[in-house]
Amino acid sequence: MIEFKNVSKTYAGSNVTVVNDLTFEIPDGDICVLVGPSGCGKTTSMRMVNRLIEPTKGEILIDGQKNTSMSGTQLRRKIGYAIQQTGLFPHRTIADNIGTVPGLLGWDKDRIKSRADELLDLVGLPPNQYRDRYPAELSGGQQQRVGVARALAADPPIMLMDEPFGAVDPITRDRLQNEFLRIQEDIKKTIVFVTHDIDEAIKMGDKIAILKEGGILAQYDTPENILVNPASDFVQSFVGGDRVLKRLSLTRVGDVDLEPANGSGENLPRINEGWTLRDALSEIIGAGADRGVVVTDGESNGGSRGTITLDSIRKISHGAETPRG
Amino acid sequence: MDSAAGNADDPPAAVLAFLQDFGLQEDKGLIDWEWLGDNFTEDVVPALLQHIFLCAIALAIALVIAVPVGILCARYRWLYGPTTAITGFLYTIPSFAMFTFLLALGFSVGVMPAIIALILYSLLILIRNVVTGLDSVPAETIDAARGMGLTDRQILLGVELPLALPVIVAGMRIAVVTVIGVAVIGAYIGGGGLGELVFDGIDRDFPTLYITGAVLATLLAIAADLLFVRTERLLSPWSRRVRRAG
Repeated sequence: MIEFKNVSKTYAGSNVTVVNDLTFEIPDGDICVLVGPSGCGKTTSMRMVNRLIEPTKGEILIDGQKNTSMSGTQLRRKIGYAIQQTGLFPHRTIADNIGTVPGLLGWDKDRIKSRADELLDLVGLPPNQYRDRYPAELSGGQQQRVGVARALAADPPIMLMDEPFGAVDPITRDRLQNEFLRIQEDIKKTIVFVTHDIDEAIKMGDKIAILKEGGILAQYDTPENILVNPASDFVQSFVGGDRVLKRLSLTRVGDVDLEPANGSGENLPRINEGWTLRDALSEIIGAGADRGVVVTDGESNGGSRGTITLDSIRKISHGAETPRG
Repeated sequence: MDSAAGNADDPPAAVLAFLQDFGLQEDKGLIDWEWLGDNFTEDVVPALLQHIFLCAIALAIALVIAVPVGILCARYRWLYGPTTAITGFLYTIPSFAMFTFLLALGFSVGVMPAIIALILYSLLILIRNVVTGLDSVPAETIDAARGMGLTDRQILLGVELPLALPVIVAGMRIAVVTVIGVAVIGAYIGGGGLGELVFDGIDRDFPTLYITGAVLATLLAIAADLLFVRTERLLSPWSRRVRRAG
């Protein structure tokens, strides 16, 4: 667990407060997204966790211990770190890049090598093909995969990620996000994730901390609660006018109670159960129908599991809690 | 002219004849190949070796000074202005004047003032390239290194200097060519090397000597330049193998 306790940061000389009395907790195994407009102190807040920046006031506890209880470098070796521009070492091979922290921790060579291969597999880059290449020989998306693998190298319980999927095209970003969420299901790291993109925040976050200019915490809650009950006009405008749709994008069709299929439904649109309600809504409206036939993942013909109606989607968009997909 | 042109398998003779037309040479020839053959190992080779030695020592010492000074200048930016001003001033002093000043400062004639002059000439180029090299290291690379728990020392030795190395070696390329040229003049104050052949030859009006010195100095500069180009590539395999995937 990471606890921010009345953390403030003011830069000497300028007297500008970039982080203002921040207090919140990040439970173990959660992805906590810090999101807000530029100048809201989200990156500064993240960098205070591993003491790349020291707070002016307040303290940060990791598992109940002050993060000042050990040296900055020791602390940082225990916390994964991935950034937008990846910061891969251009003069070291992919395997050597991934092995950076294990090397600092004194692992033996064979262990570092097998760990690098294991992580390359995890992020979908065949080790035989990639371990001996240099970063410049990889595409942007591949470099960001390596950046994440490097942050995971010494299996740290905590990871700091500053727009780790920022510098790639939207399609690649979407894929990287999905892959990372899948990986996170297994590794269950406690993650501080910084982004300026509210859609990414909603998609990635178990919890979202919305910060506004001057480093003030505007709201800290689950994506659902933020979308249903924005705490202020600022939050409401920041999450955008389409927050109902955003909320639908949190739920997968397969997680909703479906109505039994009646009739053939031949003319109805096919809805993949893996889609979000938002996609389903779009598909149904686009087809000019009022319902769609839900099919099992990977089988567009047959395998019907029931139907989903516009009415049921509307109810969910207004209604009570829905399970996360 | 006619007789020389007919003797096609003896190019030096052709050159010689050409120069004779301008009254530059007596019958003996511009290059006395026989003398060169007899004295090559005794006079020419030692001069060449001494020249290499002189330049190598000067460059090594200059590098030992320039790397730490360059690192300090990159860290503490206010140092860079004055450092560039001083080394820039040294660089502008004409070489003859430089040697004279050193003698005036009390150095006795010999290898010592020659080496010092060569060091002073190299400093501007080397320091500037160390600073440029360190500046060229991407900020996010250093941030990532710090964020992963590398110490300042590990960042400097393991990340910044290796990445700056190609630029530093590029500086050495320029410095080595400069130094090889200036060292020729260093012979005037007893520095030895190929310049000795040049000055000796001029004094004795013996072209074979000064042409040999000049040609060897030129070849040496070209060879050193090529050597450093190769070194530069060797030290940065990562920038060579760029074949982007997907």
